[in-house]
Amino acid sequence: MNRLFNRNRMLIILFGIIILILLIGFSMTDRDSTTRAEQFTADAAAGSQMIINAPFDFVGSLFGTISRSFNAVEENETLRAQLEMLPQMQADIERLESENAELREALDVSSKQSYESINARLISRSHDQWLNSFTIDKGEADGLSQGMAVMTPEGLIGTVTRVNGGTSYVEMLTTSVSQNNLSVEILHDGSPVYGNVQKYDKERNLLVVENIKNRSGLASGDEVFTSGLVGNYPEGLLVGTVVEVENDEYGLSQNAYVQLVSNTDDIDMVFVIERSPESMED
Amino acid sequence: MRAIIIFLVSFLLMYVDFAFARFSPITVSNVEVYFVPRTLLMFILLLSIYTGYKTSILLAVVFGTMLDFYIGSVYGIHAFGMVAFVLFMHAAFRVFYKDFVAMAFVVLLLTLLYDIYIYLLYSILDLVDKPMFDYLALRAAPSLLLNALLFIVVFVIALKTSRVRKEVLSRH
Repeated sequence: MNRLFNRNRMLIILFGIIILILLIGFSMTDRDSTTRAEQFTADAAAGSQMIINAPFDFVGSLFGTISRSFNAVEENETLRAQLEMLPQMQADIERLESENAELREALDVSSKQSYESINARLISRSHDQWLNSFTIDKGEADGLSQGMAVMTPEGLIGTVTRVNGGTSYVEMLTTSVSQNNLSVEILHDGSPVYGNVQKYDKERNLLVVENIKNRSGLASGDEVFTSGLVGNYPEGLLVGTVVEVENDEYGLSQNAYVQLVSNTDDIDMVFVIERSPESMED
Repeated sequence: MRAIIIFLVSFLLMYVDFAFARFSPITVSNVEVYFVPRTLLMFILLLSIYTGYKTSILLAVVFGTMLDFYIGSVYGIHAFGMVAFVLFMHAAFRVFYKDFVAMAFVVLLLTLLYDIYIYLLYSILDLVDKPMFDYLALRAAPSLLLNALLFIVVFVIALKTSRVRKEVLSRH
């Protein structure tokens, strides 16, 4: 032993293992806030990465603009066609919104669906590619807090798990950590059926929803939304579509396999969803 | 002077590792193949030979902690792992004959073991559930190939940065 490790080095490694176990225990506990030291280190790393990335991003966007400009004319025409319908739709939405608000006021209920969104950009993906997590460029200063839902333009993608000063750490739905307490509703013929997200099946790339009541009649193609019953998630954020329904191993309830709508491999812009405080009260 | 350059180069290499996460995993006929570069780890291991292992341990602590806080869900894994692997490198190099082939072999073996170490820890904590064979075929082997290619670049960088001090000293 003396030849490979002297006693001092052995002691350092032993102490290291003890500290490692303590740190693992510390990071696995449920915490509501992030310490200043963590925030500072993460912000420093993120800041320097943004500086280093800036020239590469600039060159990338330059090439992107050039390649996009080739089919700009066609795109312009289709967009113009859509734009002409816009004023009518806008008016409809305003009318419906005010009608909805009046009715809600008359019934004296607040909507679980109301929320504000904060735009954010992805800075980096986890470099060891084990955990499906990423860092975004908005933090405590922009009003983010732990447990908020994160969406891509298509649908729900993950949860904010750590908030630093100017950046935040987001865990995606595809990691086993972020699915705790995620309750969903599946719309079948207009009526909701409730369930809980159990895990993400990595081999089939599908989300598994459990505890669905028997004979609910779910079929593939039904859309899955957040239910707004647990945590900071508002109701009605699109999660995905049902691909397959099967009975669970005891035949007491059903499991559904859900295809996520957002592309987990290609994320750039995300929206952090801040649930409005009034809706949390009831 | 050398300390600053080593620090900056380590920073750059850390972002090289990050940059690979943008286009890996690559899907080949419905199977995801992961390429995980470990340029920062290789650089720190090589520095332990060329500039002394104490500098390497310091770098390992600083960058390991930074990685943990920045992109880790479980703290301490990178910080402890990097320090332990620098010590392994130091121990291994007393046993091996010191030439380029032996050094390349030891560094690449250690990068492979480092990934296996993280895989085992995450499996114990139930954060990852990849079967062992899938892991070896679709992640460990391709990453080893990529790291073998990157090793040449990192080796040249490590050699250049470790010589900075010599040039400064010779002027005095």
